[in-house]
Amino acid sequence: MSEFGHILLTFLFPLTLFTAVTAFLAGRNHRESMYQAARNGTYAIWIVTTLAILALEALMLQGDFSNAFVYGNTNRALPGFYKIVALWAGHDGSLLFWTWIITSFSALVVYQNRNKNRELMPYVILTMIGTTVFFTALNLFIANPFDTWMQNINGVMTPVAAADGRGLNPLLQHPAMIIHPPILYIGYVGTVVPFAFAIAALLTGRLGSSWIKITRRWALVSWGFLSVGILLGGKWAYVELGWGGYWAWDPVENASLLPWLTSTAYVHSVMIQERKGMLKVWNMSLVIGTYLLAIFGTFLTRSGIVSSVHAFAESGIGPAFAAFIVFAIITSIGLIFWRRKELSSEEHFESLVSRESGFMFNNLLFVLATIAVLWGTLFPVISEAFTGEQITVGPPWFNTIMIPIGLALLLLTGVGPLLAWRRTSIESLRKSFGYPFIASVVVLLGMFFFGIRDGWALGSFTISFFVLWIIVAEFLQGARIRSKNAQENILTAMAMLTMKNTRRYGGYIIHIAVVVIFMGFTGAAFNTETRQEVATGGSFNFAGYTFKCIEKGHSTNDNFRTDFVDLQLFKDGRKVDDLRPAKRMYFASKQPTTEVAIYSTLREDIYVVTVGESEDGKMAILQIYRNPLVMWVWLGSLILIVGTILVLIPNYREKKRKPAAQQTHARHEVHA
Amino acid sequence: MSGKNKKIKFIVGIGIIITAVVALALSGFKKDYAYFKTVTEVYTMGSRAYDHPLKVKGDLVKGTVVKKGSELNFQIIESGQTMDVHYIGTDPIPDTFNNDMEAEVVVSGRLAADNVFKAERIQAKCASKYEADYSGNTQASL
Repeated sequence: MSEFGHILLTFLFPLTLFTAVTAFLAGRNHRESMYQAARNGTYAIWIVTTLAILALEALMLQGDFSNAFVYGNTNRALPGFYKIVALWAGHDGSLLFWTWIITSFSALVVYQNRNKNRELMPYVILTMIGTTVFFTALNLFIANPFDTWMQNINGVMTPVAAADGRGLNPLLQHPAMIIHPPILYIGYVGTVVPFAFAIAALLTGRLGSSWIKITRRWALVSWGFLSVGILLGGKWAYVELGWGGYWAWDPVENASLLPWLTSTAYVHSVMIQERKGMLKVWNMSLVIGTYLLAIFGTFLTRSGIVSSVHAFAESGIGPAFAAFIVFAIITSIGLIFWRRKELSSEEHFESLVSRESGFMFNNLLFVLATIAVLWGTLFPVISEAFTGEQITVGPPWFNTIMIPIGLALLLLTGVGPLLAWRRTSIESLRKSFGYPFIASVVVLLGMFFFGIRDGWALGSFTISFFVLWIIVAEFLQGARIRSKNAQENILTAMAMLTMKNTRRYGGYIIHIAVVVIFMGFTGAAFNTETRQEVATGGSFNFAGYTFKCIEKGHSTNDNFRTDFVDLQLFKDGRKVDDLRPAKRMYFASKQPTTEVAIYSTLREDIYVVTVGESEDGKMAILQIYRNPLVMWVWLGSLILIVGTILVLIPNYREKKRKPAAQQTHARHEVHA
Repeated sequence: MSGKNKKIKFIVGIGIIITAVVALALSGFKKDYAYFKTVTEVYTMGSRAYDHPLKVKGDLVKGTVVKKGSELNFQIIESGQTMDVHYIGTDPIPDTFNNDMEAEVVVSGRLAADNVFKAERIQAKCASKYEADYSGNTQASL
């Protein structure tokens, strides 16, 4: 089977090259036969890559430990389900998975546009398959998951298999970790589609807003997957790593955040181009930047150029990646420069207080945030280049910059959508923001009187309240007018309102999600923790809870030994939960893992970790964190998913008994 | 409002925001930075090693880990030179850090005058886990 995989990859590489060349010729000479060849090539590439993935999965399910990747990432006792997902647990396999996603997207885009966009498509194929050429080359020459262990037996190289594999990293044996990588990869790879259309637009000179309209959904889907992927990564870190937090500004985390920041900027600024024909170069740059940062993120997590705690293997793919990124940057900048005249704005900014400016400041902040995160992440590399010494910055540095930027952006989520295009009068500002502003000041004073003194937390809660008020008012106002006109009750009216303008109201729901997530983040300002020693039968108090230790014990199964502490959690004399923090020792990998116990409420999380035991072994040492409002982060994530789905679905068109002529008219309006 | 006036307003607005972010970056840097060094590099820093926060990378020396309750002492090694580390932090130590495993360790903290490193944070990853070392055989592609 390893040989079969090798043959597939060896065949895939020239096939991608062939397809890229035919796509180029199809674009240049407008030859229909070449275009057909490029399209069929794209489908064929997808089939071959799919077979390669299936071959690797078969190897893992069989437990063929002569395969180096299978040996390194699975073992016999591993449950079958984990054998399947081990595909993206290791370096070489996850790279093949990356390749498979991009070939799937390429095939999907080709199919979607089979009767459309004839001019753009050859270059779209060229760009997407060009990227695939690079990843296929990596898979074939540098990170080949079909490599086998060979032994020289009587002068003949023969495959040998170990009795058992080394097993899947226990930290990865968790549901969130199973879906986090594919979701993040889909987000990463999704950035290729808008990029490919942008490059095609530049090459063909069809620079109107058509490429933007074609890729709007792709950009949003990619953005949604990136958002969810990042949040799931945080969730995994929180429940699995046992240090009480979900985000630590580690380079690998930052790598996922970077394309998200630019892609968030893009989904906003694109509205200005659609509406006013402005910021064409800017949007082009954001699309290209997002793609480059997605590639860069993959590079950063695998090249080992900056030290990260994450267990990604460092590998030899660094220089190849660097070369690819530099090539993509130079080509993109060259193309934009070549088309600079056609990319000039059709209109100009009129007022500092307008929808356009709101978007502009939003973009400025997102780009500054991107630069800050990139700078901080690469600071060891930058400082070494200039001083010869590596200097690192950590979470306090990132928080110093990102909290103010985050709060400014949060404020804009409330203010921006209510500003009028072109310019906004003082009168309308007072009308839109007067009441919420006064109410927010009251809330601010209230929180201060109740003893909240943390400046950033006060700011964050106040702004959150302000933004929520504004968004809810928008919903209510729209619904009230509608319910009066259509004689619907207010809830139906609100639902209908949303369905009839999903982009606007779905956007508001995403903004609500952002507010909720920010409230969750802000809870971290009030985290407290304690360390306690407790024996069977003992108890202690912390943060208004009583912890009773029922048993400190251990158990074993085939896979691991567990040392656990059974706790009962009481609040106001009533039992609220059973908690079982534990440490596991996996036999195959000889690796211990921490099993965190969390009691989660809307108000706070009680997060319990066993950190060791006393010298006589009788007392368990527990670290307990009280993390307020963490659940809001996960709750906000769910709202964000709902909002993103809403934005993606087309507006609902009401079927009313109208004269035929009017109906046609209405339909035209929607299309316009 | 004239066109020129408008432009100036925009430039001033953008300028203020950029200046603010740069100022934050600089002030943040004063609060939080560390020299990233290997064990041998720390010893070549001379007296500077005691003046700055450091992050030191080395391999955990097997068998040197001494745990007393939540007290923790161990040694790390790099290119033959070792460094004593005393953990003074409050976070639970990572799972990848234990006495039986070869782990690459990064400790953050300061070097004390007695040349014991006072670590506030320990990061560890198992260095050998994903590397190929299947004894007696060589890895080769077909």
